[in-house]
Amino acid sequence: MKPFAETRLLLVANFRRDIKKIIIWLVGLAGLFVAVAYKFEGLYGSRQQIETIVTTLKSKAMVSLFGPLPHVNHLTTAIIFAGEMLIFWSIFMVIFNITLAIGATRVPEEEGLTEMLRGGHPVGRQAPLLAAILEISIVDLVFFVITGVGTQLANLPGANSMGTWLLAAALSIVGWAFGMFTLVLAQLFNDSKNATMVSYLLFGITYLMRMISDVSDQQLTWLSPLGWVEKTSIYVNNNWLPIGLYLVFGGFALMIALALNANRDIDAGLVAVKPGKATNRFLRGPLSLLVWNQKTTSLGWIIGVALLGASYGSIFDSIGKLVNDSPVIRQVLGTGGVMHAQKLQLLSFIGILSMVFALLGILAGGMVTNRLYADETRGYLELVSVKPVHRTTMILIPVSYGIVLAELVLIAAMFGMQAAGNAVLKHPLAAKYFWQSILAMTPTVLLFLGILTLFVGAMPKLRSLTWLYLGVAFVISYFGKLLKLPDWGLKVSPFYWFQKVPVKTTDWTAWWVILIIALVCLLGGVIGYNKRDLRN
Amino acid sequence: MATVPVLKVEHLQKSFGKFQALKDINLDLQPGEVLGFIGPNGAGKSTTIRTILGLIKAFSGTVKVFGKNAWSDAVAIHQQLAYVPGDVYLWPNLTGGQTIDLLLKLSHQKHNARTDELIKEFELDVTKKNRTYSKGNRQKVALIAALSTDVPLYIFDEPTSGLDPLNEQIFQNAVEKLKQAGKSVLLSSHILSEVEKMGDKIAIIRQGTIIETGTLASMQHLTRNQVSVITKQPLTDLDQVTGIHQLTLQNNQLEANFTLDSDATTDVMNYLAQHQIVHLKTTPPTLDNLFLRYYEDNGKSGDTK
Repeated sequence: MKPFAETRLLLVANFRRDIKKIIIWLVGLAGLFVAVAYKFEGLYGSRQQIETIVTTLKSKAMVSLFGPLPHVNHLTTAIIFAGEMLIFWSIFMVIFNITLAIGATRVPEEEGLTEMLRGGHPVGRQAPLLAAILEISIVDLVFFVITGVGTQLANLPGANSMGTWLLAAALSIVGWAFGMFTLVLAQLFNDSKNATMVSYLLFGITYLMRMISDVSDQQLTWLSPLGWVEKTSIYVNNNWLPIGLYLVFGGFALMIALALNANRDIDAGLVAVKPGKATNRFLRGPLSLLVWNQKTTSLGWIIGVALLGASYGSIFDSIGKLVNDSPVIRQVLGTGGVMHAQKLQLLSFIGILSMVFALLGILAGGMVTNRLYADETRGYLELVSVKPVHRTTMILIPVSYGIVLAELVLIAAMFGMQAAGNAVLKHPLAAKYFWQSILAMTPTVLLFLGILTLFVGAMPKLRSLTWLYLGVAFVISYFGKLLKLPDWGLKVSPFYWFQKVPVKTTDWTAWWVILIIALVCLLGGVIGYNKRDLRN
Repeated sequence: MATVPVLKVEHLQKSFGKFQALKDINLDLQPGEVLGFIGPNGAGKSTTIRTILGLIKAFSGTVKVFGKNAWSDAVAIHQQLAYVPGDVYLWPNLTGGQTIDLLLKLSHQKHNARTDELIKEFELDVTKKNRTYSKGNRQKVALIAALSTDVPLYIFDEPTSGLDPLNEQIFQNAVEKLKQAGKSVLLSSHILSEVEKMGDKIAIIRQGTIIETGTLASMQHLTRNQVSVITKQPLTDLDQVTGIHQLTLQNNQLEANFTLDSDATTDVMNYLAQHQIVHLKTTPPTLDNLFLRYYEDNGKSGDTK
């Protein structure tokens, strides 16, 4: 049989299946990108406006989060725009492409759809994989065109066509290359969960590599595939070499995926499933079952974020250094004054990171909460729900587990950061600052998990709204300052209320209000779950 | 009349959006009985069972298990029943053995001698991970756990759909044992012969309505065997014999195919014997035949019985 037979039909079917997802992502990613481009001129159009932000952007803290600005004497609006958007938008593009890649390969194979198509119809062995490759490539191409044209029309001061198209190309191709790489992992692991986890793990490593090298030796950033985007030097040198690198990297991954797929059995991965023990003393109820099923993932999260925290901590000495520490400043502030200013800079960095870690905690915990619904639709829950276990117990176990995991992730990241940070600092930071941040972020963590519980419990079909709100809230707080969003816009995000901790003290009114809203949502979820039908 | 029925469903209705899945369901299961619950795919068997199990809420009507409300007393009811769904999905990371033990523990019971016996009979490799099991093997895991649970009520939803005939027999024997031990069983199926073998009573569901219910004997008028026969003498006046339907004659009237009313079996066999049977094959009635017959009876009242 021809290995690529019926690829075209599968491609059409893929688009029909994913069209909603693709449109939402494209509108969000490409649309928002262009919108920011339009807004940027108003924000940083003039020399003075640029001056106000440059010091901040050149601080090591910002470099670690957003990547470095090119080394030029004369920064333009366009250069700042490209510099600040590049890493952040690359992250989103990679996430989008990983989601697409797994969703078009392992998921339908797991569901038995691939077997039906390839076994019962004249569909080639490579057709589903090629359809996935084409789907991803087309979507990234569309992103390229929208952002390219949109940014071109925004006509930022200091922009040139070459740079604009390079920017659009860099963002779409970094996503594409990681998407292709995910397709390789999808051949290696025989379930979507493991394939996804390993994809994000490897992506996380490339992120950390670029972060550490950016604040220490920027030549080393070439070692991280994610770091290549920074080397495009958009609107300055317009270096197309990274684009070539991504093409080679992605193309190579694509061929490996095809080669692996050509020789493997359906439903199988290259990592074999070993038999296990017939008995297990640990398994005795819904809680131990959840712990047993989640233990590897949970441990992975905790160790992963502790390392992430430690990597941020390891650059604390660079972060602490004032950008402008000329003798004059030293004289004005005095030794104590300089130390104080440096400490404030660090604390504010910790505040921003506590938000990132809270986001990761919410994702880790939310995935556990989501399992309740995923297991329900996959039928795993059918055998438990006919046992003498109350519905309240059934929902509270994964929800509590999710909350505990989210907090543990937050704590592990913060203390990983503290340990590494204090190892490199001459004047270590007290533990109280880290605890204050953890405590300040707790209601926000609970709020998102509470909203998710409400949806999973009462209206599971709408549960994705939680992630939408989380995404919007995070972007508002992470970027809001840079975009000079109005106050009311910032306040929509629960992060807004606490991101200044530990520099400032916690706003306890807001803390309690958000906590109570979170608890009400949790309660609503439990009540809803007791009232609704379970599906099969 | 002091005994509480194990299961009592009266005028149960259930809708999903605009689609009315259950229109009028009435079931009655007394202690020690095996109730066969039969109907074609999509008739509402699983929906009915899921309502009985309190997984979904009745729209109207009453569903009582051991005299308790199926929805609000679900936990107390679940303490006293074992259930095997039609499609069994198991946590991929556990082995079959671990799953069986866990399911027993969730019912507050333990791995026992009967569990080992069933594992042996079904020849299940309990050290394999669930993700590597076929549909039939997953079904075995759920069946072993349910059959070795000691409770008054067992509910099986199309339990043999993934089993080969050998394992089907093992299952039927196990149900027989439950019956001897005085347990109650609700068994759904779309295969009439399967239910016929095991059930004391049968309830037939079609498009969300129970259309017939009673003992097998009381339903004899509805069952028709498919007969194909070859004789030495031509069956010239076979079409005159009562109880014969859909007759086709071939090969100079030496070969006949027809359906036969169960209550006319003796007469027809006598007739055939007189014409010297060379070959005779009877197949048990299918659900299709049964519905055909049912609607024939209800559509044209006054038709030959």
